[in-house]
Amino acid sequence: MKGAGIIIRKELKRVFGDRKLVFSLFILPAILMIGIYSLMGNLIKSMESDITEHVSEVYVVNADQGFKQTAKEMKYEEGANVTYLTDAEYASQKADLEDKVLNGNAELIVVFDKDFENTVAAYTKAGDATPAVNVFFNDSENYSSQAYSVFSGVLSSYRTNLLAQRLGDLDQLNVFTQNDQRIVKEAKANNRFISMMLPYLITMLLFAGAMSVGVDAIAGEKERGTLASMLLTPVSRDAIVVGKLVSMAILSSLSAIVYAVSMIVAMSVMGSTMGELAENGFGNVSFGPTQCLMLLAIMLVMVYLYVAIIGLLAVLAKDTKTASTYISPVYIVVIIAGMLTMFNSGKAIPTTRYAIPIYGNALAIADLCSNELTSVNFLASIGGTLLLAIIITVAVGRAFNSEKIMFNA
Amino acid sequence: MIKINNLTKVYKLGKKKMMELKTTNPEKIAVNGLSLETREGEIFGLLGPNGAGKTTTLRCVATLLKPTDGDVSVCGFDTVKQGADVRENICFLTNEIKLDTNFTADYMFKFFGELHGMTPEAIEKRQEELFTQFGINEFKDKKIEELSTGMKQKAAIAVSLVHDPKVVIFDEPTSGLDIITARVVTDYLKTLKEQGKTVIISTHIMSEAEKLCDRIAVIINGQKACEGTLPEILESTGADDLEEAFFRLYKQYNPEN
Repeated sequence: MKGAGIIIRKELKRVFGDRKLVFSLFILPAILMIGIYSLMGNLIKSMESDITEHVSEVYVVNADQGFKQTAKEMKYEEGANVTYLTDAEYASQKADLEDKVLNGNAELIVVFDKDFENTVAAYTKAGDATPAVNVFFNDSENYSSQAYSVFSGVLSSYRTNLLAQRLGDLDQLNVFTQNDQRIVKEAKANNRFISMMLPYLITMLLFAGAMSVGVDAIAGEKERGTLASMLLTPVSRDAIVVGKLVSMAILSSLSAIVYAVSMIVAMSVMGSTMGELAENGFGNVSFGPTQCLMLLAIMLVMVYLYVAIIGLLAVLAKDTKTASTYISPVYIVVIIAGMLTMFNSGKAIPTTRYAIPIYGNALAIADLCSNELTSVNFLASIGGTLLLAIIITVAVGRAFNSEKIMFNA
Repeated sequence: MIKINNLTKVYKLGKKKMMELKTTNPEKIAVNGLSLETREGEIFGLLGPNGAGKTTTLRCVATLLKPTDGDVSVCGFDTVKQGADVRENICFLTNEIKLDTNFTADYMFKFFGELHGMTPEAIEKRQEELFTQFGINEFKDKKIEELSTGMKQKAAIAVSLVHDPKVVIFDEPTSGLDIITARVVTDYLKTLKEQGKTVIISTHIMSEAEKLCDRIAVIINGQKACEGTLPEILESTGADDLEEAFFRLYKQYNPEN
């Protein structure tokens, strides 16, 4: 393997000696990631606050005194511009008002039956008439949906008030009380969000990193004729393959770390603006040393497999453009493999599935987050991936020794 | 020194290549039973038209391609079985093999020196010699992509000679160079010859072959049509100059033209 080290040093110098490359490989993704997620967080937040702060246009027909009283007690009119209409007024404007709701100019029309409270009060036995309240809203409009849910709250209080008037003691409606007790592994509960997202992100980002450095390192050098000059040195072609793959692995791991860190920063930025992800405990991953080592081992074999795959496709391609074309479908497969683990019902997964490269790794990472990874599944996931990676590495070596592939001869 | 013994190289053509060449034969014979031997301290020229098999022959010598039949040895090492030993002793220059343009000539020189297993001191000493010889010192710290074609070629030659090889293989040494740079290159080939190196070049430029080469092999359709010093070739073909000799040989091998 004489010479592999020299090649690794050259490849690293190639990247780190070029400020533009360092920027586009490591700095730009971080900026983009954090920028996009904080922008998203802010937009969602401002959208939500806009909806809650919007003063809704509400028309209430035939409202009795009791309702007006409840609305006043609940300070409903502070967030809504309520217009009370009589039956006759409503009849003349009906089409007009409905049109307003349809076009988003008004949020809600509420129509109480005539003599609403009298009908309620007249109820004595089953079979007596009960009045209705008709609520018209437009759930394709955010404002209208919001107005509907706020108004439902008011109606519910109104109902409670009327019931209290009728029954006097509301406690007789309580047949029993329900007490809920949670029995959970705290690790699993804390990390539900992480164990859903992390395997997918790691699977995908490691590949993205390897892809951005691997294509140029092999297909690019082949295209520019600079690989051939290395083949003319006494260094064996296997040493060149090792040098290339190891340097690709180093660079793509670095790029994956950059992605991962900026992703976590971005998520927590977004989470803290939304206040939701924070509740799900994004900053709350409590990995012990063994878990950290296991995660590292899984990520290392994944990086190895990825650079082997990308190395093979890049050496088979005659230039960088062809290489990218070959790699895109693989990238899609990788993304799908990662996504498959996101939607897991919790049914036990057989060990054989952990041995499937990439998919098995994603499963193992998901289990690791919820502290459920068994050593058998861990070894299966490492073994399957390692085996495929070794097979592909041998193929890369063969390709480097093929004059048809290297010189198009 | 180089010994080529009955070298044959057959390319298998893909479907696309066959369409391009408008042929139904899936095999293309690039070199057909070629034998020749070069001596130390001479410049040997392979003269032939495009597609005659010159580059293929040189690539076989440089261990980049494996002969389909026959064998090639360089300094006593077989190019297939002892490829690494052969590469220790040769340098191979062509327009298609280039230096990584993202680095400086200085770095590339050291990189290839290390790949050849040289010590830093040896590399330093050799760099001093070659960079002065080719006048590279003034631009050695510039990235190769910023250099002119002539400068790039000079840098490529210097880098390829880092390990002081006994055999220098040069595919079309002056192609694409202006006359001044071309002169620097041909002068250096003569210097190498004086140092007792074996130099083998391919060319389709008659005047270059006439002026530079001690012995010439005319290659047509992958076969050796004629070999010898310039006077020997002229005598055997009965021609007045190399161009005339070449055309006579070409007609002889392609009677239908």
